[in-house]
Amino acid sequence: MSVAGARARVAAGLDRAISLVPWALAVLFGAVALHLLTLLALPALAPGSAYRRLAAGLPLGEIRLLPRATPEHADAAFSDPFAVVAVCRFDLSKGPQRLRATADGDHPLSVSVRLADGAVIYSGSDAQAPRGRFNILIVTRAQADAIDAAQDDQDEDAPPASDELRLISPRRKGFAMFRLLALREGEVESVAAQRAGFQCSVEKPPS
Amino acid sequence: MRPLLAVAIAAIGLGLAATVIVLSGEPGFERVQLGPWTSYPHLGAPDIDPYARAAAALDGLAPLGLNEGLAFVARTDDSGAALDSRCAYRISGSDLPARLWTLAAYRADGRLQTNLAGRQGLSSAGLLRAAGGDFVIAAAREARPGNWLPLGRSRSFVLALRLYQASTSALSSAYDGLSLPAIAREACS
Repeated sequence: MSVAGARARVAAGLDRAISLVPWALAVLFGAVALHLLTLLALPALAPGSAYRRLAAGLPLGEIRLLPRATPEHADAAFSDPFAVVAVCRFDLSKGPQRLRATADGDHPLSVSVRLADGAVIYSGSDAQAPRGRFNILIVTRAQADAIDAAQDDQDEDAPPASDELRLISPRRKGFAMFRLLALREGEVESVAAQRAGFQCSVEKPPS
Repeated sequence: MRPLLAVAIAAIGLGLAATVIVLSGEPGFERVQLGPWTSYPHLGAPDIDPYARAAAALDGLAPLGLNEGLAFVARTDDSGAALDSRCAYRISGSDLPARLWTLAAYRADGRLQTNLAGRQGLSSAGLLRAAGGDFVIAAAREARPGNWLPLGRSRSFVLALRLYQASTSALSSAYDGLSLPAIAREACS
């Protein structure tokens, strides 16, 4: 009785454990799926993301100079006190977006283009831009194809816009950041006033 | 029905817990550590991984783009001790491979520190150097001769070093040859 009973109990325990395996796998699969889902959804949903914090409320084409980093300014965590930063929002469903900025040669200038989920799809400095001038056209793939088709229809002798950098964005919404650096802390205000001719404008959609 | 509910609750709990735990750590897996200085250059790259992207969005970060520059943060000195504004620090090095670099001290929450001088940082353009280009910066609450980085009253602080238009490539192993400033603790009050 004792040996046979023990074997029966072990067998019953094994059966029960085996019957739980599918449930455990279901928990594991569900947990991994939810983990990946929340991870991928967070950049678009995070209420304090850079896009929502800096650009979401901006009218298209408007450039906003971000407040200078100071001890009193809580919203500029880990901002560089030497940097003058301006942002503008783009929505390519309204048409391609043109960005322009010109460096003065003394103060480093950089431009970056970011999607609403925070991905940086372009960044460049004035040292890489022709004659320190940024002329960036942000387009969707369809807009790029339409522009190429329109150019093919025109006179082939027409000079191309040689200094234009065309950037094909995988998403329609995002924002651009212009970063101009003061060489000394005392000149931040004057550098901010200069703003290096930042421009951010919606272009007419190609027909 | 009851086992299904239990499975669903367990899966939701585990999935959310995994997300919270992962995102409460460092922003991404591509950390570069040079002495006490830490950087996450891939935060500003197009091929940022989903974990780093979620962490950056959650923190509201707009990191430097890869071609804009590199940002390093130090929370400890060279010996590994946490930075403490009751102490003075000697930050020394040779010129860095960047068009311009800046150094600033922050409170642990990322705000700049209120200090006696009303100055928030130093830049390579305004630095006093030795003949060979080497520099020494004194980070302290009280005024120091030479390159002084004023510290505030909040005890713990963080140093941020930004190399703008750095000539080293963030995606290569060029960090091996990059020598960032040493941070040595001096007297404490």
